[in-house]
Amino acid sequence: MGILEFEVPIFGPMGVNLPGLIGQIVNFLILLFVLRLVLYKPVLQMLDQRSARIREGVEQAERARAEAIRMQQEYEARMEEARRENQRIINEAMQISDRLRAEAQEQARQQAEQFLERARAEIEQDRRQAAAELRGQVADIAIAAASKVVRRSLDAKAHAQIIDEVLSEADKLKYN
Amino acid sequence: MPSVMARLRKPLLIVFVLALIAVGNIFFPLQVPHVQLPAEKVYLFDFFLVPNTMTAAWLTMIVLIVLSWAGSRNMSMVPTGLQNLVEWAIELIVGQVEAIAGPRRGRILLPLVGTFFLFILINNWSGLLPGYGTILIAGPAPAGEHAAGGIELLPLFRSADTDLNTTLGLAIVSVLATQYYGFRFLGLSYLKRYLNFSGHGAMRGVNVFVGLLEIVSELAKFISLSFRLFGNIFAGEVLLGVISFLITFVAVLPFFALEIFVGLLQAYVFAVLTLIFTVIAAAEHGESAEAVHRAEHGGVGEPQ
Repeated sequence: MGILEFEVPIFGPMGVNLPGLIGQIVNFLILLFVLRLVLYKPVLQMLDQRSARIREGVEQAERARAEAIRMQQEYEARMEEARRENQRIINEAMQISDRLRAEAQEQARQQAEQFLERARAEIEQDRRQAAAELRGQVADIAIAAASKVVRRSLDAKAHAQIIDEVLSEADKLKYN
Repeated sequence: MPSVMARLRKPLLIVFVLALIAVGNIFFPLQVPHVQLPAEKVYLFDFFLVPNTMTAAWLTMIVLIVLSWAGSRNMSMVPTGLQNLVEWAIELIVGQVEAIAGPRRGRILLPLVGTFFLFILINNWSGLLPGYGTILIAGPAPAGEHAAGGIELLPLFRSADTDLNTTLGLAIVSVLATQYYGFRFLGLSYLKRYLNFSGHGAMRGVNVFVGLLEIVSELAKFISLSFRLFGNIFAGEVLLGVISFLITFVAVLPFFALEIFVGLLQAYVFAVLTLIFTVIAAAEHGESAEAVHRAEHGGVGEPQ
């Protein structure tokens, strides 16, 4: 026991002795060692792990948010493009329909005019034919009528000449 | 009726407390506390003679180790129960230590500083537990007693910080740890703190003298750290005993609150002082050496 019963100077009367002192130091060192194993190391590890997890989660959320914003913008851009495309198609269709209508109108107008033209030509021709026929018949009737009126027989040649004159005058009268 | 009761509540309480004090002092008078600096020795398991502050330290160790083990045994990402308590405590201590020592050195110093704090805190607070000092066990009667040399019933536990062996032991660990971390952080240049022969002429003399002062201040820390803790806690226990002797009930309660606070404060002071001494020892010198280096090689107004 020798050294362990050594009286510590000054501190001795206040209860300090080597076994007690060494014992308490050993107590503390044991506690330090054990707590390092069962307290500080696992708890710090857990705290670090958790803060890393949280940081990771926050970053991930940030990334997801940025991605969502990007997709939203992309979607809106596409929508805008689609709207413009729609408008363009509608405009084009309206232009086409306008043009088609104008063409159809023009065609119809031309056709009508053609019909009209042809009808006029036919009428004219009919009229000429009728006039020619009428002239023949009228001449004969006129000769007969004139020969009855005048009671004298003109030769056929002079007769026809007079009638032609009358008719050409009549033609002139009519067409002037 | 309720208004009458409300008005009577305070006087009734005062009368009740006074009656309690009177009854306590008449029917349950306490003995004057036996104040003794050295720890009492008791027979543990009938033959093993140990100071009752040593048994108290063991109890503290068991409590701390079991709590820590139970709290960190099955750790999960989502903490529950005891894990919450353990994590809360460690987070609190880590925050304090890292605020003073920085993140890197804080992590290195955490176990030492944290164990100082927890060990001293549980020592101090366990001494305040009701019934802590009333578990009696056989031990040799202290010298100077009427039954000196005989066998007497003595408290099994006495707060470990009321024994100079404990506080001096902690102070020794603290001072030695400061030296250890000084070498660890600064290498051999830590020695310049005590043996500084840099400078020229009178400046060299000043540096050498400052080194001697550093040695003295390190030695003084053995005394200051150990006696501050011992004195506060021992005096607290005596105070509680004396007040309880004077007035058995109630009057001691404010002093209990005070001692709870003092116990926390002393644990904090011891741990933080150790931390600060270590940080200063490891940083101040590095910075001053850097300053000397700058002065010598900058050559601004330096006499040759």
